[in-house]
Amino acid sequence: MKTTVTLLCLLVTTLLLSQSTISGKVVDEKGKPVAGANIFLEGTYDGATSNETGSFSFTTTTTGNQTLVVSFLIYETSKTVINVAAFVDKTIKLKEGVTALDAVIITAGTLESGDKARVSVLKPLDIVTTAGSAGNIIAALQTLPGTQTVGEDGRLFVRGGEANETQTFVDGIRVAQPYGASTNNLPTRGRFSPFLFNGISFSTGGYSAEYGEALSSVLLLNTQDEPDQNKTEISLMTVGLGIGNTQKWKKSSLSVNSNYINLAPYQAAIPQNVDWNSPFQSLSGETVYRYNFNNGILKVYAAFDTSKFDVNQENINAPEKIRVDLNNNNFYFNTSYKGVFGNNWQLTSGLSYGYSNNKINLNIDKVVNDENAAHLKFKLRKSFSERIKLSFGADYFMTQFNEDFRDNSGSIFTNGYTSNIAAVFSEIDVLFSKKWAAKVGLRAANNDLLNETTIAPRISFAYKMAKNSQFSFAYGNFTQTPRADYVKYSNNNRFESEKASHYILNFQYNKNGKTFRAETYYKEYSNLVKFDTETPLYNSTFNNSGLGYAKGLDLFWRDGKSINNLEYWVSYSYIDTERDYKNFSAQVTPSFVADHSLSIVTKYFITNWKSQIGFTNSYSSGRPYNNPNETKFMNGKTKVYNSLSFNWAYLLSPQKILYFSVSNVLATQNVFGYEYAKNPNSAGIYNRREITPTADRFFFVGFFWTISNDKKDNQLRNL
Amino acid sequence: MKTTMNQNPIKTTKVMTKIIVTIVLFISSYVSAQGQFEQGMGKALQLWGQGKSTEALALFERIAAAEKSSWLPNYYVALVNTNAAFATKDKEQVSLLLNKAQKAVDIEMDKNPNNAELLVVQAMIHTAWIAFDPMTNGQKLAGPVMELYGKAKAIAPENPRVVFCKAEFEIGGAKFWGTDTKPMCAQIEKAIGLFATFKPETVFSPSWGLERAQIAQKNCK
Repeated sequence: MKTTVTLLCLLVTTLLLSQSTISGKVVDEKGKPVAGANIFLEGTYDGATSNETGSFSFTTTTTGNQTLVVSFLIYETSKTVINVAAFVDKTIKLKEGVTALDAVIITAGTLESGDKARVSVLKPLDIVTTAGSAGNIIAALQTLPGTQTVGEDGRLFVRGGEANETQTFVDGIRVAQPYGASTNNLPTRGRFSPFLFNGISFSTGGYSAEYGEALSSVLLLNTQDEPDQNKTEISLMTVGLGIGNTQKWKKSSLSVNSNYINLAPYQAAIPQNVDWNSPFQSLSGETVYRYNFNNGILKVYAAFDTSKFDVNQENINAPEKIRVDLNNNNFYFNTSYKGVFGNNWQLTSGLSYGYSNNKINLNIDKVVNDENAAHLKFKLRKSFSERIKLSFGADYFMTQFNEDFRDNSGSIFTNGYTSNIAAVFSEIDVLFSKKWAAKVGLRAANNDLLNETTIAPRISFAYKMAKNSQFSFAYGNFTQTPRADYVKYSNNNRFESEKASHYILNFQYNKNGKTFRAETYYKEYSNLVKFDTETPLYNSTFNNSGLGYAKGLDLFWRDGKSINNLEYWVSYSYIDTERDYKNFSAQVTPSFVADHSLSIVTKYFITNWKSQIGFTNSYSSGRPYNNPNETKFMNGKTKVYNSLSFNWAYLLSPQKILYFSVSNVLATQNVFGYEYAKNPNSAGIYNRREITPTADRFFFVGFFWTISNDKKDNQLRNL
Repeated sequence: MKTTMNQNPIKTTKVMTKIIVTIVLFISSYVSAQGQFEQGMGKALQLWGQGKSTEALALFERIAAAEKSSWLPNYYVALVNTNAAFATKDKEQVSLLLNKAQKAVDIEMDKNPNNAELLVVQAMIHTAWIAFDPMTNGQKLAGPVMELYGKAKAIAPENPRVVFCKAEFEIGGAKFWGTDTKPMCAQIEKAIGLFATFKPETVFSPSWGLERAQIAQKNCK
């Protein structure tokens, strides 16, 4: 009877709970045990956690084939189909997840900022809290290695390249006119307020095949996906006022901001080195609308800007000052869609349209020019696995430029061009392991104005040799249509694209809030435009025989951890570059290049004072200039440039900020270069005039007030 | 007994068998009635209570993977990871833990964006990011945290965790600004009262927070 009962019990329990034991060991790629891994049968509760020796054991009532899942924070989740009846003492090897934070990334040429950047060189707030930047994205980037401080121009000059060799993209779509209008020796600013962007990627070379029409550099600005809340922002500044409002709905949001800038009161209070008839005035506005679909996001960005100034500029060749009266209207529209579909496909597409109109009165002559520029882009990306990603796409650039020159006799000279560039690109990203990564791409473009097709390969790879340090290398060919100043004379001249090749070797060390980067590069220019007159004119003879090179070393160190509340970075750049282009008589270092540049940026937060205090010091060695009194071309060197700037942000209350800044605190008398007379004086000497900053110092006081429901947000990031 | 059995062995055996079968059936039916879910959740919460968070987390994850209908397993996956992130100083570990917590919350928020307990955990994840790097994340996430607590309070004004966590977060800001913390302390007081009357929907529903609130209350004085 006992037997019967036992048998019966066994039978019943077996029927109900037929158990198999599953056991084994979890190890990593090197065979070391992994403790704390979660091992279980998919869809059931049956599982265990591995112990210190990596071993595990559990029982299951399931039968037949089941999926065994092994997961652990830093490893790729492993899934295997097993037969539960026969899985005992097996070893499971986990692969290190390539998506883990410490996987290798290709960093050659790229300086990143923002939420998504794994190694952030700049933080989003830095744009606005860097002393001397005054809310100008471009000025903040000029504290990074590889850039040149060209104070009389204000634009980005990267590694021996001219300012127009940098192309700006918003959400992947080109911005044809990224800078405000200006004239000779009056510095311009970036057109975009840092307020709407939360990710910036600045590449000083070797960038992806996705980006074309840039010889030296690309600046990628990404608008915020989602604003944090409804709010109204008011700014009162010594130079103008601004107002902004953000509304957020369930799936969409709208931000609008507008600024009015008038430098007249400021310039009345503080004397300038510039003789203004009517100081700089501008009215600008930006708006972003975002709509979230289930699988994607649509963004519409529009900006307008109207500005004017009227100035009398000294000129060494004219007894009287030359009056420049400029009116600029600019409109920019950009719409983009980014979404996922199907099996790991990602679609990015968009289009932009930019319109710029300048009316310039030069004494009694008049210049009117218009530029219409559009960019269309379509890109697909397929992730085959965490390790292999393929992207390909096409883009189309359209530019139409027209310029009328009316001299005082009433004659009109019209020049202009229309250029259409169609390009296709493809790129593959491969992560061989956590240590090795490569990216190989190709871009082919056809330009109908120049009637040529160019093919540009791009290759980069990275190797991580230790936990916190890695090397990367990038090579690429880059082409760009010559600037509008030349190609507007396409009717009587034939142009070809200008070309550059980049070779970049980068070392990066990153640990606990400290980043060290060293990058060395060699860049070769060919096909640069040359002409035979003093300035490019309709009757100049142009050719593409120019060439040049640039090589150098860029160093960067950032530390935000060693000293409490202190964040600082140091950038140093050494460059050796020569070019024979424009109307140069020899291959020389151009006047915008300083051999050595050093920037030190510090930010110190004083909790008791509710203040952030920052200093920025920018130093550059002398820049070359051509002295016609000497026989050798471009043989002069200016004295060194130095500027120390200071800022102080004081939080009056969580939503009210008082902001104060001074640039060039020490009033260093900087000289950017010299303007020489065309003809010698009676003693046979060419006279000259110094090109200096518009003012020794610039003072700024602003009050920023945010009104929102939570009473927490403020405009610190806008400063 | 023996004699009885001898007297009527077949009958006795039949009775015994019936009893045993009934017991066995009863036990097994009881087991399945109580259900794997209850058993698993009970075990996981018990492990967590004993400080074995790795094992608890592993079990919560298994349950979450098997039961798509309950938001609780993912809720605990998020909560345990977030608490672990607050406790660690290792930078890499913090991001891994918080990303894992975020994934779990995302899954459940998709199904029900108006669950006050999930909103609280989401706010805690943001708070952990702020604690991790105040200079970068404070500016960006302080607004969203307040928005989440605001939303949670509108949904469940009497939930003690909503009241307490909101007050605790506000105290941090008030201390920095040197403003009065009395209103927040009053809220903590109120939360402690609410803990006494709060009835979790099920035995596994969130019920934590009283101890933390009491500590915070002491700091108020």
